[in-house]
Amino acid sequence: MLFSLEEVIETISAVGVETFDIRTITCGINLMSCADSDVHKCAAKVYEKVVRVAHDVVPVARKLEKKYGIPIVNKRISVTPVSFLAGAFTEPTAVPIAEALDKAAKELGIDYVAGFSALIPKGITRGDQILLNSIADALCCTDRVCSSVNIGSSQAGINMDGVYRMAEIVKEAAERSRDKNGLACAKLVVFCNAVEDNPFIAGSFMGPGEAEAILNVGISGPGVVRAALQNSTHLNFGELSEVIKKISFKITRTGELVGREASRMLGIPFGIIDLSLAPTPAEGDSISDILELMGLEKTGCHGTTAALAMLNDAVKKGGIMAATYAGGLSGAFIPVTEDAGMCRAIEAGALNIQKLEAMTCVCSVGLDMVAIPGDTPVEVIAGIIADEAAIGMINHKTTACRLIPVPGMQAGDVVDFGGLLGKGPVMEVGRHSPALFVRRGGRIPAPVHSMKN
Amino acid sequence: MNRKKEQVVITVLGANKPGILAGITRAIADSNVNVEDVSQKIMQDLFALMMMTDFSTANCSFEDFQSRMQAVSEQLRVKVFIQHEDVFRFQHRL
Repeated sequence: MLFSLEEVIETISAVGVETFDIRTITCGINLMSCADSDVHKCAAKVYEKVVRVAHDVVPVARKLEKKYGIPIVNKRISVTPVSFLAGAFTEPTAVPIAEALDKAAKELGIDYVAGFSALIPKGITRGDQILLNSIADALCCTDRVCSSVNIGSSQAGINMDGVYRMAEIVKEAAERSRDKNGLACAKLVVFCNAVEDNPFIAGSFMGPGEAEAILNVGISGPGVVRAALQNSTHLNFGELSEVIKKISFKITRTGELVGREASRMLGIPFGIIDLSLAPTPAEGDSISDILELMGLEKTGCHGTTAALAMLNDAVKKGGIMAATYAGGLSGAFIPVTEDAGMCRAIEAGALNIQKLEAMTCVCSVGLDMVAIPGDTPVEVIAGIIADEAAIGMINHKTTACRLIPVPGMQAGDVVDFGGLLGKGPVMEVGRHSPALFVRRGGRIPAPVHSMKN
Repeated sequence: MNRKKEQVVITVLGANKPGILAGITRAIADSNVNVEDVSQKIMQDLFALMMMTDFSTANCSFEDFQSRMQAVSEQLRVKVFIQHEDVFRFQHRL
């Protein structure tokens, strides 16, 4: 027999018991051919192109789920940053583009469409300005559109005008979606060093260096890693790392198989696999649970940053050999409300926003799905974004903020966003003001180690 | 004519009782799917069966075959998994 019964059962229980899944197949679509000075004509072209290119994404994903017995949880679309198109608009709004994307997503059965984005690490163009001014409206009048803005990079420094503007937009989006606990902010990411091939929501967009269309795959599987680490207390760090690498290899291989086959069936080139551990609110599908299995009494206690660093590194090492092209964000995500274990650690008083910030130095992204008090001033939000961006800029890594200032809620209240976005406690933030600092204006210069040429 | 093989792994798990293997293989034969290899164990009263099959001779689509087997598994009160062999090959073989 080609495989042993044990091997087959291992694969089956990864899905059935340990909640392994392919988190997303994300079809990237270049929208530059849709350019038009009339935003409504541009929107019509965007709708037509998205529906045409991504027409078969959902049926193909469903076929592959059956063929391999592996769930593909989300089918998504990412597009060229809409700010690129907005520069040409006579009428200063990009909202009709968001509406066209939302309509296309609904027609195709696509879960999310992302790329209502702008790249402003060094400066803000007319198109960027139009996009930024449209974000709150766009997120509130659509259901499936996601937005992201890159405000800094290791190469350019941090655009502090952009940081402050984004803090204002986060507040505005929260207020405008007050009836849904600020849900619009769950669809808005502020990046430093954003990557162009990330398949994950909400920060996905189709980079300008990509092909006409591309297929990226994001894997998941904290539950599988957790299962592999059960009864691992006797292992030293080298052995622990080996266990994580092996399991990461196996789950990434499955992503590679699904990506290759989807690419073949759709006739769209396979871009990358994002080697990420993406938690869900489901019991056991938690990064925090893994950290605690590694020997921490509660996530957030001293030692957490080291444990996360090791986990993140082992996931990459195991996955990179399994993938032809690895890319995206690749690492362990530590969203708060999406991870029931993280929420428990906060409620137990073990994890606070300062420790979470330290953890973002070694995880794949940043302060993700962090609910904060609704009355947090714009300046404090700008300070949080600037700190996170500084970590990314100095360490040559992607960092991000997906902050939700929940209207009417205070630290300790529990907010429920529903579905994969989960529910969790509102976190306390620092109350001293960075106002004078964040309002200085201009750009934090790029660090000395950006000069590599 | 030489058909290209299409190897599909069928796994059956459930509480042990007489007739599981007979019921499953009858349904596979009805779909004209060819069984090439069988491995079966009883693990602490758990019936575990794995079959390597060639699906290229089947008289129905892959989806229809899955539905047929699903119906049989419900009658027998077992779990049946029908997956293309690539998923195991990619995970367990370099």
